Amino acid sequence: MSEEKKKATELDENIMDHDYDGIKELDNPPPRWIMLLFYITIGWSIIYGAYYFWLKEGLHQDAEYAAKSMTHDQKYQIESLDADALVAFTDEASLAEGKQIYTDMACMACHGMAGEGNAIGPNITDGFWIHGCDIQSVFNIIKNGEPTKGMTAFKGQISDDKIQKVASYVMSLKGTNPPNAKAAQGEKCED
Amino acid sequence: MENQKFNYDNKIVKLFILATLTWGVVGILVGVVAALQLAFPVFNFGLEYTTFGRVRPVHTNAIIFAFVGNAIFAGVYYSMQKLLKTRMFSDKLSAFHFWGWQTIIVLAAVSLLAGFTTGKEYAELEWPIDILITLVWVAFGWNMIGTLTVRRVQHIYAAIWWYLATFLGVAILHVVNSFELPISLFKSYSIYAGAQDAVVQWWYGHNAVAFFLTTPFLGLMYYYLPKAANRPIYSYKLSIIHFWSLIFLYMWAGPHHLLYQALPEWAQALGVTFSIMLIAPSWGGMINGLLTLRGAWDRVRDSAALKFLVVAVTAYGMSTFEGPMMSLKSVNQITHFTDWTIAHVHIGGMGWNGGIVFGMLYWLVPKLFKSKLYSEKLANTHFWMSTLAILIYAIPLYWAAVTQWLMWRDYTDEGFLQYPNFLETLTQIVPMYAVRVFSGILFLGGFLIMVFNLAKTMASGSFIDNEVAEAPALVLAGKRNPATETIHRWLERRAVRFSILAFVALAIGGAVEIIPMIFIKSNVPTIESVKPYTPLELEGRDLYIAEGCYVCHSQIVRPFRWETDRYGEYSKIGEFVYDHPYQWGSRRIGPDLARAGVVGGPMYKNAAWHYNHFMDPQKMNQESIMPNYAWLAVKNIKLDQTPKKIKAMQTLGVPYPEGYAEKAVDDLMEQAQQISDDLKASGIDIEPQKQMVAMIAYMHKLGKDISGVVEPKEVAMHAESVEASEQKEAKLLNNKADLDAGEKLFTSTCVVCHGADGKGIATFPSLVDNEWINGNKPEQVIHSISEGNVAKGMIPYKAQFSEKQITQLASYILITLQNETSNNK
Repeated sequence: MSEEKKKATELDENIMDHDYDGIKELDNPPPRWIMLLFYITIGWSIIYGAYYFWLKEGLHQDAEYAAKSMTHDQKYQIESLDADALVAFTDEASLAEGKQIYTDMACMACHGMAGEGNAIGPNITDGFWIHGCDIQSVFNIIKNGEPTKGMTAFKGQISDDKIQKVASYVMSLKGTNPPNAKAAQGEKCED
Repeated sequence: MENQKFNYDNKIVKLFILATLTWGVVGILVGVVAALQLAFPVFNFGLEYTTFGRVRPVHTNAIIFAFVGNAIFAGVYYSMQKLLKTRMFSDKLSAFHFWGWQTIIVLAAVSLLAGFTTGKEYAELEWPIDILITLVWVAFGWNMIGTLTVRRVQHIYAAIWWYLATFLGVAILHVVNSFELPISLFKSYSIYAGAQDAVVQWWYGHNAVAFFLTTPFLGLMYYYLPKAANRPIYSYKLSIIHFWSLIFLYMWAGPHHLLYQALPEWAQALGVTFSIMLIAPSWGGMINGLLTLRGAWDRVRDSAALKFLVVAVTAYGMSTFEGPMMSLKSVNQITHFTDWTIAHVHIGGMGWNGGIVFGMLYWLVPKLFKSKLYSEKLANTHFWMSTLAILIYAIPLYWAAVTQWLMWRDYTDEGFLQYPNFLETLTQIVPMYAVRVFSGILFLGGFLIMVFNLAKTMASGSFIDNEVAEAPALVLAGKRNPATETIHRWLERRAVRFSILAFVALAIGGAVEIIPMIFIKSNVPTIESVKPYTPLELEGRDLYIAEGCYVCHSQIVRPFRWETDRYGEYSKIGEFVYDHPYQWGSRRIGPDLARAGVVGGPMYKNAAWHYNHFMDPQKMNQESIMPNYAWLAVKNIKLDQTPKKIKAMQTLGVPYPEGYAEKAVDDLMEQAQQISDDLKASGIDIEPQKQMVAMIAYMHKLGKDISGVVEPKEVAMHAESVEASEQKEAKLLNNKADLDAGEKLFTSTCVVCHGADGKGIATFPSLVDNEWINGNKPEQVIHSISEGNVAKGMIPYKAQFSEKQITQLASYILITLQNETSNNK
């Protein structure tokens, strides 16, 4: 008897008389660990059900959301700036940061890469303003938006501090005369 | 006993093999195209027929139903005849099955690219094709059960149990999920709505994986693995236990696709627990396969067929552990809506299904053609390419999934979303999409090598259509002798009873979940303010479905702070009661759109934005990978269909007033005109009957109905303050200068929502009729203008206009506008 055949015979001690197109079956019991795993998952499922529905220990998703949302609000006490006391930044670092925010928040989608405006949003470099030209007004329109005209409210997306910076950057664009500028809209502001 | 002579039908097996190879190439190629489209949007080709939204369903359907389907039938038709020692029951049924199935595939590919779809994943095909599928499937089952009745073998072997479960399971799933109300040859509505439709759809979707991609393959494994390895099955008992537990438990697990979504908690909990309980039954198949190879591992080294089978069984074990883990709610919030699920299904598809099919073909084709495999070396090359392709597919996508999830939920120190712009989180992972293209090409290359290898093998061999065989006739054994025969052994020789029992095991899970969702009202709490779609919005919704928008955009906000901050209020069950079909989606390649119509919410965009974005998304966001939809501005809404659609919706229980179908087109045109006018104000000229207009109307409907409900307290407080503080009388300014100033303000600001004539646009109220939401006394109108009604989209103007300006505005509205209107009457 060859080595391989002998090994196979040892392995096949429990051979049954089943024969399907030459396929035989062994009468081995399922490995004990797989049965144990099965019972454990059934037990876990019963405990899971009890935890959520019978003992009512587990939070359902509405309650879970409310609880987590409360923790979130406590962790971040979001501060707002007093719009009336705002001043426009003129230092380069703040303006550079403002420019970055302008890009990150995709302002150019509506106002153009250089603030020249496009089919959606107005030119913001020409000194004409629809919603007021002082830093407070620019701050307000960025913060609260004008949804029906397409201006997004950014208050839920960036902090007042960042809004102030991007508003300052926008203010700094005045008179830059970018190419393809859109015709003026709104009122001319006196300097 | 004397042997009976008969023929095996090898020709039908050959036909199914050829179809498998053909559709395999097509399906994988379409997959590569879809992968390219996500990495480089230029591969959408700017045509409506080739956008990702239409190509992706072609890929999934081609792989699942064309490639894998034909492979199943090839494997089943060969092994059933051998295992039952008989020819298939009816050659006519076999032929009808084969040609019917190929017809379905061709119709599917054409109709999906043409935009005819039900909008339900993996069940996209429209109703005439659904009926054809039913007929062909019945022919398959009839042929299978017929063959069982003419068998020459006493007991039916484990492989055939799995084939039976496949036939029964798919039949139940397909019929129940495909109930739809046709309105034309190419369009129907699911009879289920919203959360109910979601439960039915994922009961179907999850179990299509079970009964099309798992059970038939376990059957194939039980035949081809012991045949190729020439070893006995390790444990007969394990076969029995894992068969019954698997087919019973699988049917319950569907809701794990809907965790943290608008579904009752009990249904979600069933999805979680039954998925966990599925680990052991699934692994039962894996270990019975691997332990069957005891004593044959040295041969695995030399045989590509066995290597593929081993990788297949291993991939099956991985996927069936990963799946239950993904069903835990805490893990699911990472894996759902990200690429994790995509990687998961490709380990299953490329590893498990691909591996079994390739292993089977390398063993079966030489056998059928009485020849040797042309080149074992090429087969090995295929094996390594294919295995490598799986890794190159899965690893980058797991990486992408975790990256994107972390970015979605990342907050700045100040408490704002770190990446509020969804696109940033996508741009980050697009390089991974490029890597995936490489994986697809590698997998396709391996597949083509196999096609070449098998073609050479076929050419070198000789094929016999009808293979002669003989076996003694079957004399059915009588009653069970309890001492010598176990109940299951007895059942194995009673094929019909076996089938009935399997049917019962299959039917329970679905029934327990679906019936209460439909008939117990408390499972779908309604929301008063949710209104049916206007005819225009309905047309827009149908376009959304036809374009396959749901492939990339979800419409369900989960109750996580990082989702509500990004999108708006989380979704409630009652919002979706008029959605036939539901459109929650399963992957966010683009942002969620459930709140796209909430004015003042983070997702709202105005009509002009939508117009420009549909025309050229890359113009709006350079990094966007969305295809353009410029033809929406060219093609017209099919107005002749609109009344039929309204009637169909009424049949499905949507409460349009009686006879509304006749008025629907007028209403549609009126609303469309308003949007067209609105766009005109932004310098965009578009006729109201264009599809673009309907699409914009639908975008602005999403979430709108509950936007006022979101913070009911605030609204109520607002109403009180009107009464308490603002009741001092105000006087209008009735002189030309002030009225002209008012007009100027009105045309520069108010027209956007209330229209140049003051009649209101879309949902915004008319200012010239006799209905006033907040009263028409001068002081009330002044109050409405200065304080606004943010929830409804009315902006407070006190920060922008002086008191005098607001009074001028109110005067213009109440004097000039009202007069003009009454004079025109």
